[in-house]
Amino acid sequence: MSGSQSSLREANRTLIVETIKQYGGLTQVELVGATGLSPATVSTIVKELLGAGVVDTQTTTRSGRRAQMVTLARQVGLAAGIQIGHRHLRIALGDFAHDVVAEQTLPLPHEHRADTSLDRAVLLLVGMLERVGASLDEVVGVGVALPAPVDTATGMISVRGVMRGWDDVHVGTVLAKRIARPVYVDNDANLGALAEVTLGVGREHRDLVYVRASYGTGAGIVINGQVHRGIAGTAGEIGHVQVEPQGDICRCGSRGCLDTVVGAPALLDPLRASHGTLALRDVVQRANAGDPGCSRVVADAGAAIGRVVAGLGMAINPQCVVVGGELAETGGTLIDPLRAAVLRGVLPNEIAPLTVVPSALGARAEVLGAVELVLRSTEVPVRLDEPGAAPPGARAAG
Amino acid sequence: MTRVPLLSMRGISKHFGAVEAIAGVDLDVHAHEVVALVGDNGAGKSTLAKVISGVLSPDVGLIELDGVPVTISSPSVAHDLGIATVFQDLALCDNLDVSANLFLGREIRTAGMLDDGRMEEITRQILRDLTSRIPTARTKLSTLSAGQRQSVAIARTLIGNPRLVVLDEPTAALSVAQTAEVLTLIERLRDLGLGVILISHNMNDVRAVSDRIEVLRHGRNNGSFGATASYEAILAAITGATHYDVPAHDGWSTPR
Repeated sequence: MSGSQSSLREANRTLIVETIKQYGGLTQVELVGATGLSPATVSTIVKELLGAGVVDTQTTTRSGRRAQMVTLARQVGLAAGIQIGHRHLRIALGDFAHDVVAEQTLPLPHEHRADTSLDRAVLLLVGMLERVGASLDEVVGVGVALPAPVDTATGMISVRGVMRGWDDVHVGTVLAKRIARPVYVDNDANLGALAEVTLGVGREHRDLVYVRASYGTGAGIVINGQVHRGIAGTAGEIGHVQVEPQGDICRCGSRGCLDTVVGAPALLDPLRASHGTLALRDVVQRANAGDPGCSRVVADAGAAIGRVVAGLGMAINPQCVVVGGELAETGGTLIDPLRAAVLRGVLPNEIAPLTVVPSALGARAEVLGAVELVLRSTEVPVRLDEPGAAPPGARAAG
Repeated sequence: MTRVPLLSMRGISKHFGAVEAIAGVDLDVHAHEVVALVGDNGAGKSTLAKVISGVLSPDVGLIELDGVPVTISSPSVAHDLGIATVFQDLALCDNLDVSANLFLGREIRTAGMLDDGRMEEITRQILRDLTSRIPTARTKLSTLSAGQRQSVAIARTLIGNPRLVVLDEPTAALSVAQTAEVLTLIERLRDLGLGVILISHNMNDVRAVSDRIEVLRHGRNNGSFGATASYEAILAAITGATHYDVPAHDGWSTPR
């Protein structure tokens, strides 16, 4: 009897923490509505969680009445991750316990402009901080994931033409000027790799390759637990490996790059006659619904990517290839032919056979990697044992 | 590829005295498609939206739903035909909760009594389908942000399983965080297989979520653009720097 009582209490506690996580911050009254628990239960559990340092409460007003806003406790400050994709901007706020306290996505237009998108990223970040009841001072740093090779020293894209209109933009400087916090810019596949090796399926591996199959293709390389970027940040840019010597000219200026074969336009064009004008999202959705044409396009892309990844596998001999990006949401449709092509192309070994697995973090891998990059770049004790030793960026008491 | 459009409008005109609000406008919307209507102030966007939602009757013109000619004589007829509209003023009641607002005027009754439980259940289902950020069906409207209100107004259109949703300036006067919510909602509506007509001034928002962009200028069609069209081409059409023929209905129009 008492056992089931305490497990019920435990389940309610989890429910409340999960609900706060989902909405960022809620008043106790809203918590009652959102969880379906009684006001007394919510009040008791919030008090317990407050005592344990799991949540923070602040007095706020709702409909002119005083109310207790409950948010997750952030003892050492927050790290912000911003992923700027081809068609989406995704922001996550994380803390030093690797918990994401808020997350939001904003659709972006085709070939979005650097000035508008960076401005919107800042405004969205500020809006999200407001929602979780935090200020910009609590942010220890901002990590930015870009779908292009990045020179991490300058925070600029290191290869011209890959992102139209972004070539001369000092992404790091522009953002740092606006928000006055340290900004770390990196390639999205590198950050996906960092996330997978820290939080995802790659945790037990020291050497892995993260393949990002999206509007363009890229790879992040982890060697001995560290992301390998190369001297100009172009390591792992498999989207620009030549696969068709007589193929189309790529944005980068070369001919027949992998991206000209498996990039979004190359996937959508062959479907136009039979399926009409589709977005990449539609192809993923329809492949999952069993549409043969869309599945075929994704499967062929998987095989083409796999052949290039096999070469990368021969070069660095990873234990594991993790596949992420929008196309990976089709599951086996992409990954089975990709795995077959990789395994056919690498030397089989008996010691540690190469595995090819889907990303554990899914669409969030890159943005979580951006958060992780900030956490790793910030010198703050992860656990605060004495409450007196407040590090820079920590919130003021009360 | 030939598919019958969900909504097909041909030669729609509407006069208010000497004012020619729209003159011979054509518009097609397919299921699973977001079509943006853009144009300057007074280009006829809102008039066209009112014709679609049954608020105004066109002077002349043909409207077909699934290839069948229809007369949308009133908003309730539009609702019965599966057309739902969110106007700029949203028309929500601040003193009621989310659930009551969703079912305003269309309350579910069992044996003459309001079935609050059932309505709340459906509300929760819809909020979940839209993955919206509104905490509960019991939240009072007065406590919600502008973006959340827009979400409630969009959620309300889903009562009665519509096939076409018309959104008039859904992101006007919203913060970026709220705009993010609304644009994500529009993507969700499209994923659910609905046709969406999005009226907006914000070229960034329009290009972010639309499959096709239709330009209106002085009550007439002035170009049809795909999602990858440039800002410059669309703005040129809006401002009249370029003129387009009435679109050929099998593809994008070309400059005259």
